[in-house]
Amino acid sequence: MSQDHLKEDKEPDPYTQQVLESGLSRRSFLARAAGGAAAAGLFGLSGAPALAAGARAAKTPNPGPDAAFGKSADGGATLSFLPKPRPIHDREIKRTLTFDVVVVGAGASGVPAALSAAENGAKVAVIQKAPFALSQGNTGAGVDLATSEKAGVEALVARLIADSNHRCNPKLVRQWAYHSGEAVKWVVDRARQGGSPVVDQGSGAQRAILKVNGYGMGYVTSFFGPKPYTTGDGMRALAKTAEKAGVRFFYNMPAVQLVQNKAGEILGVIAKDPDGQYVKFLATKGVILATGDYQNNKAMSDYFIPDVKHLGRKQLDRNGDGFVLAYWAGGVFEPIGHTKMLHDFDAGPASMCDMPFLAVDRKGRRFVNETVEMSLMNNYLKDPGNAGHYSQIFDADYMTQAAKWPGKLVPPEGLKHYMPDDPGAKKGVFASQVNTHVADTIEDLARKIEADPATLAATVKRYNELVASGKDSDFGKPSDRLVPVLKAPFYGIHRRVRLSAICSGMLVDENHQALDADGRPIKGLFLVGNLGGGFYGGVDYPLTVFGLSLGRCYTFGYLTGRHVAKL
Amino acid sequence: MNRITARQWAAAPLAALLVLMGAASAAAAAPQGKADRMSKHADKGITCAQCHGKTGKKAVVPKKQCLTCHGETKDLAARTADVKPNNPHENRHLGTEADCNRCHHEHAASENLCLPCHAFNFQVP
Repeated sequence: MSQDHLKEDKEPDPYTQQVLESGLSRRSFLARAAGGAAAAGLFGLSGAPALAAGARAAKTPNPGPDAAFGKSADGGATLSFLPKPRPIHDREIKRTLTFDVVVVGAGASGVPAALSAAENGAKVAVIQKAPFALSQGNTGAGVDLATSEKAGVEALVARLIADSNHRCNPKLVRQWAYHSGEAVKWVVDRARQGGSPVVDQGSGAQRAILKVNGYGMGYVTSFFGPKPYTTGDGMRALAKTAEKAGVRFFYNMPAVQLVQNKAGEILGVIAKDPDGQYVKFLATKGVILATGDYQNNKAMSDYFIPDVKHLGRKQLDRNGDGFVLAYWAGGVFEPIGHTKMLHDFDAGPASMCDMPFLAVDRKGRRFVNETVEMSLMNNYLKDPGNAGHYSQIFDADYMTQAAKWPGKLVPPEGLKHYMPDDPGAKKGVFASQVNTHVADTIEDLARKIEADPATLAATVKRYNELVASGKDSDFGKPSDRLVPVLKAPFYGIHRRVRLSAICSGMLVDENHQALDADGRPIKGLFLVGNLGGGFYGGVDYPLTVFGLSLGRCYTFGYLTGRHVAKL
Repeated sequence: MNRITARQWAAAPLAALLVLMGAASAAAAAPQGKADRMSKHADKGITCAQCHGKTGKKAVVPKKQCLTCHGETKDLAARTADVKPNNPHENRHLGTEADCNRCHHEHAASENLCLPCHAFNFQVP
């Protein structure tokens, strides 16, 4: 880590201050719901102050605008998606197991956290609600310090901070930059030991960011692919390595409650076993929550990130369980307006997703200057009608006419792998999600991409007029990105961007320890992966470095496992 | 809070389950012996209590209860191993441990949980 940036400040950094002021915690919500009367210490699941505050909130005749989102309950006001945990008595506990470290969630940060803790001498348990380890995506990125200029690393940090609209915690971005190379290499090595065919693609996968502000950069890039092999398979392989290292995995075991003493310290987790019985996992050093995002929790999602109300989800069961656990332990949500990740690398080639071909909405109308990247397109497609659907349209000459554009063109033979109507074998894709089409007329293409034929024909006619004029007087696209759609056969990639992840979470410090509403660490509680906050801050997840998200998950899991093991 | 239809929930499958819990609760509250119009089990003479128990409490039927009659999940997966293009009872998301309720609905039309993402055109009984 850069020493220049590691001075121990007594004051919280600006990011932390802002989250403490505008984020959502039990205290902040109670304070709002009860008219500021409830700012008492509310830690502990049976804290008397909480009960008193909740009772006051319940009796408020005009509870104010917050009431639309929540209700007052006996333990304090809650939002509908933050149900107050019911106290579980010891007589209801079927068995109690004790470990040094308990990790909740076996995904891209949980499995590395567990293995890392075990390699550092800890006795570790992982409890996972699914029947096996789960993750998505293929690429995980890290910075190779050996082949990077120091100024380049800092320039990249600055770029990523800018990508987050300067709303992230720079300390965490810097932490990724200076530790990710080591962490990603470690994941590649350990996953391979577990039987994964993972490769390190190095800098080859990061061609667009080999120089930052003129400074040279090198990367470590893990790749768990090609599809349908994904990081999910990779994490299952990594879990095998972790089991050999002594980590015990408990599957089909959703965590239902943290064990917290009256001082607010987290002592363990209570989970529910497949028979519906409670099992208590005590953690002498700490609990690491790695439970992922909350995209499938509609109420939570509508509250924190209303932009995605009408957009589809790519995952299952990301119900925000960990958010509820951390909130009731005193944790603080990042303020409303969370960072989202939406894309579709399945309908057609990923390498062509940002190529600025004519793009049309679900009806067949042009709607944007097509130099807008796919990762940002969702902002134009939020309405229930479009719901993330759009299509890229090009003609028979695309291989020559777009040859100099950024991206990588896939020739017509290769496109067949993405064509559901083509009878050939499908390789390197999810066959059930391909959605690329070819037709001899624009009207036929429109039918295949499910657009209105007359509308698409009119759009193409108008677009060709603009191309012929050399100036995009409708949307201002640069003239070197204007190529006509004239020559059959015509192609259309019907993309449907859906939510892959919500990347905002709850307030943590550089040890990934949860902070409470006063900015103090909650003893024994650590948050990693998409449950952890502070790494992003923009409207959308940036694709500046491919695989930043998984790279961050691996890195912070790796660092946190080691940190907690050494406590 | 606005009412949300099952169709709107389709993108958030577990949320759909919560709606179903509402449907199942309504059934649980129905008088014993009076067949639910939407119940395929009731048509076969199975009583409410055989699935919902006799407590009268509103609750969704746990998967475990389904398995008491329908057998172990692994056996079920073996019986559907030849379903094309994928075995719905053994998949990459949930293995053999998907909650039956997510696709098979007793008091509403069943649904294909795969469809929002995949072109797997199963007819879900």
